[in-house]
Amino acid sequence: MNEVKIKRSILARLIPRLTSLTRRGPSGWMIIVGIVIVSALVIMTVIGPWVSPHDPSAILVGPIRASPSLQFPMGTNHLGQDMLSRILCGGSIMLQVAAFSVLICFIIGVPIGLFSSYVGGFFDSTCSLVIDALYAFPGLVIAIAIAAMLGPGVINMALSIAVVYIPSYFRIVRSQVLSIKELAYVEAARAAGSKWHTILFRYIFPNVIPSIVVVTTINFADAILTAAGLTFIGLGVAVDIPDWGWDLTKGRELIASGAWWVITFPGIMIILLALGFTFIGEGLSELQNPKLQR
Amino acid sequence: MEKIELSIVVLVLIGIIVSSGTMYYTTTVMSNLSTLTSDVSTLTENVLNLTSTVRDLATITGTLAEAMGEFTETLTDLEARLAAIEASLAAKAKETLIVGTTDSVEATLDPAQAYDYFGWCILQQIAGTLVSVKPGSITGTDFQPELAVSWNRSTDGKIWDFTLRQGVMFPDGTEFNATHVKYSFDRAINLIPSIPDGAPASLGYDQIINRTEALSRYKVRFVLKDAFGPFLGIMACRSSAIVDPAYAPMAQVNYTSGDPRGSTAAAFVAPYYLSEWDRVGDKDIEIRLDKNPYYWNATSGYPKTKTIIFRFYRDFSTLRLAVEAGDVDMAFRQISAIDALDLEDNPNVKVWWGSPGAPLQMLCFQENHAPFNDSRVRRAIAAALNRTAVCVTLFPGLANPTYSMVPPGMLGHTEAFKKLGDLNYTLTRSLLAELGYDETNKLKFDLWYESSGHYPLSAEQALMLKQQIEASGVIEITLRPADWVSYRANRNAGIMDVYIYGWYPDYFDPDDYVFLYWGPWLNLHYDTWSPAAYAEQLALYNEARYSANTTLRVELYSQIEDISVEQCSIVPLYLMPPWAVTKRNVKGVVLDITQDMRYWLIYIGD
Amino acid sequence: MGLRSYIITRILLTIPTLLLLLTMVFLIMRVLPGDPVYLHFEKKATPEQLEQMRRLLGLDKPLLMQYADYLLGLVDFGYFLQHGYPNLGKSMQNYEPVGRQIFSAFPATLELAIYSMIIASVMGILLGVISSKSYNSVLDHLIRGFGTIAYAIPVFFLGIMFQLIFGVHLHWLPTGLRINPNVQPPAQITGLYTIDSLLEGNLFKFFESLKALLLPSLTLGIILSGMFIRLTRTNMLETLRLDFVTAARARGLKESTVTYGYALRNAFLPILTMMGLQFAMLLGGAILTETTFSWPGLGSYIVTRINYRDYTAIQGAVVMFGLFVTLVSLVVDILYAYFDPRIRL
Repeated sequence: MNEVKIKRSILARLIPRLTSLTRRGPSGWMIIVGIVIVSALVIMTVIGPWVSPHDPSAILVGPIRASPSLQFPMGTNHLGQDMLSRILCGGSIMLQVAAFSVLICFIIGVPIGLFSSYVGGFFDSTCSLVIDALYAFPGLVIAIAIAAMLGPGVINMALSIAVVYIPSYFRIVRSQVLSIKELAYVEAARAAGSKWHTILFRYIFPNVIPSIVVVTTINFADAILTAAGLTFIGLGVAVDIPDWGWDLTKGRELIASGAWWVITFPGIMIILLALGFTFIGEGLSELQNPKLQR
Repeated sequence: MEKIELSIVVLVLIGIIVSSGTMYYTTTVMSNLSTLTSDVSTLTENVLNLTSTVRDLATITGTLAEAMGEFTETLTDLEARLAAIEASLAAKAKETLIVGTTDSVEATLDPAQAYDYFGWCILQQIAGTLVSVKPGSITGTDFQPELAVSWNRSTDGKIWDFTLRQGVMFPDGTEFNATHVKYSFDRAINLIPSIPDGAPASLGYDQIINRTEALSRYKVRFVLKDAFGPFLGIMACRSSAIVDPAYAPMAQVNYTSGDPRGSTAAAFVAPYYLSEWDRVGDKDIEIRLDKNPYYWNATSGYPKTKTIIFRFYRDFSTLRLAVEAGDVDMAFRQISAIDALDLEDNPNVKVWWGSPGAPLQMLCFQENHAPFNDSRVRRAIAAALNRTAVCVTLFPGLANPTYSMVPPGMLGHTEAFKKLGDLNYTLTRSLLAELGYDETNKLKFDLWYESSGHYPLSAEQALMLKQQIEASGVIEITLRPADWVSYRANRNAGIMDVYIYGWYPDYFDPDDYVFLYWGPWLNLHYDTWSPAAYAEQLALYNEARYSANTTLRVELYSQIEDISVEQCSIVPLYLMPPWAVTKRNVKGVVLDITQDMRYWLIYIGD
Repeated sequence: MGLRSYIITRILLTIPTLLLLLTMVFLIMRVLPGDPVYLHFEKKATPEQLEQMRRLLGLDKPLLMQYADYLLGLVDFGYFLQHGYPNLGKSMQNYEPVGRQIFSAFPATLELAIYSMIIASVMGILLGVISSKSYNSVLDHLIRGFGTIAYAIPVFFLGIMFQLIFGVHLHWLPTGLRINPNVQPPAQITGLYTIDSLLEGNLFKFFESLKALLLPSLTLGIILSGMFIRLTRTNMLETLRLDFVTAARARGLKESTVTYGYALRNAFLPILTMMGLQFAMLLGGAILTETTFSWPGLGSYIVTRINYRDYTAIQGAVVMFGLFVTLVSLVVDILYAYFDPRIRL
């Protein structure tokens, strides 16, 4: 059978899907808003180094702790660094940490979940038990402990966050696979003699993807907040890399002396970024929830 | 919204209003008396109720003239009594000083083992030493008699005799005498520690003291292994505090919940005694010091405040907010420099500044890592520094750049490192050019800094240093953070190329500073790579250590510093002053070179 | 199966989970990079000093023996009865019993957790129900927006905003500590200042400790309520669409009865599970909140111990925490089975 493939650009394929979302009600709008926020922040961070008026790490480009003015729209911090430049460039660490942690979780959590629940039996029970035990660990504590022992750095932070999140992926994947496994068409495929990997990847996995995406977005949002928390404790990256988490931590020390701008702008950015991902996740989970259909 | 939700919301709102109203009421009524213990507050409450009841009665029976007369008499009587109570309560309020701090006793209050700033601070208020440094000291060596009234040193410097003060009583009635001194020092040397770091308290008494002898009831003799010059300095430190044998077995004494006397080995012969010590988890929650009724120097009027209560905060910002809100009378260690400068404008608080003294920041080079074994590289980096810029930007008006390992005011202070200059990029480039480094072939290395707040603003310092040094055009630096435990482990393992380090002295003598240039525990391998210079400095140091001739010592330390400028094994950067923030009515705070806070001098007055 | 057999099975299942948890903590602490003993010396330690410390902490014994000691220490009830805390080893910093440290820090965290949960659940459930009743209206969107934003705010950011506004500018509430520094804490009976001051009959102290509790619990409570709002809303929306609700309305019952008596009651179980889990999480110490408000609880304790690389203390704290969570999950699961017979099948 010949398949006629119509090649269209990615954007051309995406746009109708996005616009179709608007017809899905408020959940659809939430997803769009989330995507817009996240893309805007990502783009800002990527082009930041080129459009920022000053070098974000350069000291004393302006007076110390100057309030927002025309010259420094977001003011300066206690080192005289321009906050606007730091905001434009500061999201990269958080995004990197979040992206890496999601990647690690995905690579480890999803396959284990798939195999374990598909195979079932003793292997599945053992895996579940181990993951449940892992789930009982205090998340932030483990993240702090791992980050402290491995040292500062993007990969280490991502690793510490990932370890905490893998159980969630496992659980979601497993609950989905368990319900899909018993469906008629899977049984039919098995009866027709398909190999296990075909069943798993062709039939089961695509149906699991929507819930994985939801967990991923929540993971992203949480990773961002945890990265900020780790920096707050003192386990962040080196000081010459602009980072919203660092500005948040330092801003907290400065706010009592009246310099409200140092903590407010990075805080808003972090909240926006976490919000963006949360919106996407929320919207998607609502859309998928059949019980919410009128 | 439906009725039930509405009613719940309304109920919650009413509940909030009622409870906040009650809280506000209790706050405003009780706030005047909030500095007192609960017994006193309930007493006043009863008194207030009584006076208001009496007033009510007066208005009700106001028609009857005699009755009114009687009642107004009672009323004025009661009002007078109330005023008297309020006055005495106000006076009582001045008897307690609440101090907020972010410090905490690290491990123990056993003088033979404690080695942290706060542990020593508490020991200073409750324990006595043979001599102490005069409050307000600039040199750190003006000693005054404390438990010893006089002392003399043999000509060869190996024997020190102390004549002890008579009539100093322990709370249980025992009189302090030479046997207690001998026991304290023997114990310090032979202590069975419960902490892995081992006795004795990192001060190395076993290396200095050969033996202690009680010559007579009030005379004690120390026979030293060598003629150790700064012996009095050591005698003034908290590790030399006298212990009470009844509470000081040979095994280390640790915190016992609910038993402050049993939690320390120190003898209570000082202005205060430890009346309460509570820890939660691994940190202090409350320490309470009360006036020691048996203090031998009570006639001097010390302690000026009857009770000191320490409250412990987790970070600088919350402590600053507490001071601003008036929750504590005094905050010492730590309010951040920026907050302290900002609080100068606050009319309700007073900021006390000391002179830059003991805490010293320096730059260390690991000579096992090429090319740091070549002194030209070290000198090149030292020349590119801009100490003033760091001090002015990060600690405006506070920290002072220092060009000597010895703090100003102390004997042996020089301006040696000025020779290399600040911002001397020509020197940097020429020295590095000799080794083949230039714009196209930059010298690359890692600059490490401590990232968990052990030193103030260390990350910012590192950033500034990096930018200053890189401005020479021939150097490229990577910043590496590490938290305190890792930093210390890295130091011990010798894996950091260049790092910023701090020093806080045990006693105030150049002997405890100058040795930093080759400090063995810094593991910089200076002795391996510059053995001749090291040997020369060591010889000069030992000569100065065992000499009593001040002029000679000044000359010797100056020579050591000259060699250090050539070698740059370690480069001194800046000195920080201490500061404290108090309410306007707190007086008597003394911040001198010892960085000690003598709480018995402080009082609340108008 | 009956409720009783479900409970028994569930309890039996807890045992291997617990064992697994304890073993995992034990192993993790020993496979992490870095020699734990080496890191605890101020200066470079001699091999003898390292060996001495290992001996004092029992780290020189073979791994199996250490494991046995570890497990036996945990179930040593005699020790527990004698000291009031379990045998969790000695802190590497000063050899204090870890159990004593943890148990002394626990009440503060418990108090904070209780009040934060009260605020979070009351706010969350109420707002979630209101939001679900007026689906797609402006109110719904506002509440949902609030819920989503609340959960996205970093705790210390909100914390310091509250401290500044209510503590410094308005001077209504204290900015930190469990009680005003000028006030003597109540006599320790439960360790919870609010309860202890009531037991003491001292209303003044009760209000003072309540005031100090307010800001941290509000901070945590508001942030957590975000999640409860969304959860309640989703569950209520699902439940309100079900037939029995329509039937109840058709029978002429009051709307409030339908909402609270029927719908919420049925939607409540997943919320209860989440409440239980969140409470257990809070017991592990709301680390960032405790640091921001100088709250001397388990969270601050764990963080300082991690900073010190105090492996025994970290191990003890994680074990305690794991035990709490397992216990709470057990209780929640049993409650769930009690209320929803379908689970027992």
